[in-house]
Amino acid sequence: MSLKVCHLSELTPGEGLRIESVSPPIAVFLTEEGTVHAIDDTCTHQDASLAAGWVEDCKVECPLHESSFCLLTGEVDQPPAKQKVRVHTVEVRGDDVLVELSQEAPNLPPGVSVS
Amino acid sequence: MNAPIHSSESTVLIVGAGLAGYHVARQARQHGHTGPISIIGDENRPAYDRPALSKAFLNGTVNFEDLHLDDPSNPLEVTWHSGSGAVELSTEPLGVRTADGTFHAGDNVVIVTGAEAQRLPSFGRSGGAFVLRNVEDGLALRERMIEGQRIAVVGGGFLGLEAVSTFLDRGAAEITVIADEQFPGEARLGAAVGQAIRHLHEQRGVKFGPPVYAHSVTDTEDGSQVLNLTNGDAVQADVIVCAIGATPATRWLRDGELTLGPSGAILCDDFGFTGIPGVWAAGDCAQWTSQAAGIRPIGQWQEAVEQARIVAAAIMGAPPVPFQEPYFWSEQYDVMIQGAGRIAQSNEVHILDGSIEGGDLLVSYRLDGEEIGILGMNRMREIKRWRKMRTARVLASA
Repeated sequence: MSLKVCHLSELTPGEGLRIESVSPPIAVFLTEEGTVHAIDDTCTHQDASLAAGWVEDCKVECPLHESSFCLLTGEVDQPPAKQKVRVHTVEVRGDDVLVELSQEAPNLPPGVSVS
Repeated sequence: MNAPIHSSESTVLIVGAGLAGYHVARQARQHGHTGPISIIGDENRPAYDRPALSKAFLNGTVNFEDLHLDDPSNPLEVTWHSGSGAVELSTEPLGVRTADGTFHAGDNVVIVTGAEAQRLPSFGRSGGAFVLRNVEDGLALRERMIEGQRIAVVGGGFLGLEAVSTFLDRGAAEITVIADEQFPGEARLGAAVGQAIRHLHEQRGVKFGPPVYAHSVTDTEDGSQVLNLTNGDAVQADVIVCAIGATPATRWLRDGELTLGPSGAILCDDFGFTGIPGVWAAGDCAQWTSQAAGIRPIGQWQEAVEQARIVAAAIMGAPPVPFQEPYFWSEQYDVMIQGAGRIAQSNEVHILDGSIEGGDLLVSYRLDGEEIGILGMNRMREIKRWRKMRTARVLASA
């Protein structure tokens, strides 16, 4: 089932938007190239919001350290994070951004749990 | 004497199993090194990352396994020698002897033994103050009852103040900080940031003593302790934590061939080369040329990772890796403080946004009008953007 999480017009190219209406929170990104992606918002290394990270080449680099997560696969490129984030399926319908949440278990960082 | 061997089949001996040591090994493998890599660690534990020791580990949110540097599902191809530290460096043949008498040979030896916590010169019977450097230190403080206790923290640096925020979280009755600056970090980061950091703690009830040094700890009859200050004052406390910095762990090299600086750090060029063929040093035990000149910071997590990257490339004969802008962070309560750039060299500080009371400061550091550094409190997006834009500029001009 798809959830409407935000409007396309709320997104800024090259930036992420943290969505707290789902748990754990997700991050929705609009790339400079115009594509929209959704992944888990919390870095798998430590509690930091990937929505505030640096978006480049369809990857987001955590705002705290240097691990980058692929927006297409969720894979991480280098330490300190070791585990991937979940990727959620996005559908843009008009100005609505709809997300179908991944059914996988999230890889939350130590000490962070789903509220 | 052997010439340095850049072959990808050579033996790399890494002396020290901390952040820098782990990253030297990892980067060497990334560069295609296929020869043996050994890592010697004096602690009988897997290599671990330290930042959480004053935060999530100290309040019990994360466990030791969560601090491991190596990825158990994709471990580095290295041989770990844990539990016996290096006691002697030999240049002919090149290698290191450990406390258990074993000689470990290497074509390249990378010294990354880190630093040891500084302690107050005089202790009470009970062993005096706690320090916070290794996981053992973290465990001791994690197991110590904090709830309802009076805590004194010596040192107004990030380590001490992170511990303060964790102790408050754990229900400490009273916390007093003894720092040599009225506003912690003021000299290094500017008055506004020092005031904002002090405000962060004072608004939660933390007390700051006069800006003096502490010189000793004495025990009292009732089992508590007294922290004696250089102005003659004394602070009564149940737990005293000393976070006054660290000194390079290089005692074992004192009478050897390497050149040590006044702090005991191994002096190196900006590739981590010590001047002795095949011997390199990085991280908190070393001082590279640009650090000695005050251009790069000392003792920061990011610096250890960068140096490891640069040393690994140099050993492998790979193209040199450029330095990124210096970077540090500190978590205190719900505030993430991040700083980047050459803050130490600035001669002006400007508040760009936020306020001292708001816990949301964004300040710019300038040198003769040019922005060379930035610091933010809960400004993750702005700081990351600044760092990435600066990196792009450095790469473009390289």
